[in-house]
Amino acid sequence: MDILQIIFWILTVMAIGCALGVVLSRNPVNSVIFLILTFFAISGHYLLLNAQFLAIVNIIVYAGAIMVLFLFVIMLMNLNADTEPQKSWLVQLAGVVSGGTLFLVIIAAISKANLLGVINKETTNIGLIKVLGQVLFKQYVLPFEISSVLFLSAMIGAIVIGKKDME
Amino acid sequence: MNLFLLNAATNSLSDYLPILMQIFMAIGIVAIMMGGSHLLGPKRKTKDKLANFESGIKAIGNARQPMAIKYFLIAILFVLFDVEVIFFYPYAVNFKELGAEGFLAVVMFVSFFLIGFTYIIKKGALKWED
Amino acid sequence: MPIQYYLFLSLALFCIGIMGALMRRNAIIIFMSIELMLNAVNLLLAAFSKMYNDSAAQIFVFFIMVVAAAEVAVGLAIIVMVYRKVHSVDVNILNRLKH
Repeated sequence: MDILQIIFWILTVMAIGCALGVVLSRNPVNSVIFLILTFFAISGHYLLLNAQFLAIVNIIVYAGAIMVLFLFVIMLMNLNADTEPQKSWLVQLAGVVSGGTLFLVIIAAISKANLLGVINKETTNIGLIKVLGQVLFKQYVLPFEISSVLFLSAMIGAIVIGKKDME
Repeated sequence: MNLFLLNAATNSLSDYLPILMQIFMAIGIVAIMMGGSHLLGPKRKTKDKLANFESGIKAIGNARQPMAIKYFLIAILFVLFDVEVIFFYPYAVNFKELGAEGFLAVVMFVSFFLIGFTYIIKKGALKWED
Repeated sequence: MPIQYYLFLSLALFCIGIMGALMRRNAIIIFMSIELMLNAVNLLLAAFSKMYNDSAAQIFVFFIMVVAAAEVAVGLAIIVMVYRKVHSVDVNILNRLKH
């Protein structure tokens, strides 16, 4: 067991434990904190997979911007553990059973599938910003432009929905 | 730039050792400071001392007050423009190689954002006073 | 390291996200569970990108993150407006949208 595998297992335990914390904690603020920790663990996995740019984008966009927005909304609505609505235990059990069934079915399918792929240890430079920029601006210019249209519509949508006194 | 590429291609994980050390230093200093002040400081708790001071009026309700909605709209717009800036990063690294074509693509990208920005300004979404 | 490890990891994260979306009644927590599912898929795409030594998959992950940011902006605006109308983020109260 070399150092990479040890780091992999630490990050895996952290990711799954914090993801369970998101689902199980009563207080929504704790859920947000657990989700941020999950994103940090996933960023660590990106670093292991030679996706350095994705790791930093994950931290800046998800942990830095999106989760702050979630925290803002939770503070805006003054949510805490007392006001948290709870489903009946039967519905919760149904949720766990259906999620667990999906997990088991796909695990059974994967273990039958005889996949031979191996993530090898030697590092490549596919995830460097220079390489990604070449691919993005040479092959995927059209999705890049379309994403700006998407952002324009998201801006207008957020303003139209969120502005206080729109006639 | 080539030097950077070569360096990252030869060893990956040891590149992040300084960052890891810095993170541990930051967490460690904060933990030592907070733990030390918690352990070393005197603790004399009484019920009156722990109560909130509210000019002699009995304290009721939650201390957290809901915020105004205008902060929220600004936070949403921050997220959108934050992602726009992320797109500039791969372009800035490849600025010379992409040439005029890449420049036109980025200008078109920014012009869409500028349309949205003028809409935001016209609607007065960033105006602080009502 | 076999690819199965990453498959199982992202599958576990995805299923936790599904459980969260089914178990909770708070609309914000459901939204966060959906973000968790998106991240699980992103992780698997990055793993396959490393396996096939191809950076196109990482571009796709980048676009998924970008679309998620736009989705969060509009979705949270909708949730806040629902809260302003009915003073709750409980999805069971939104049942009356059926009628």
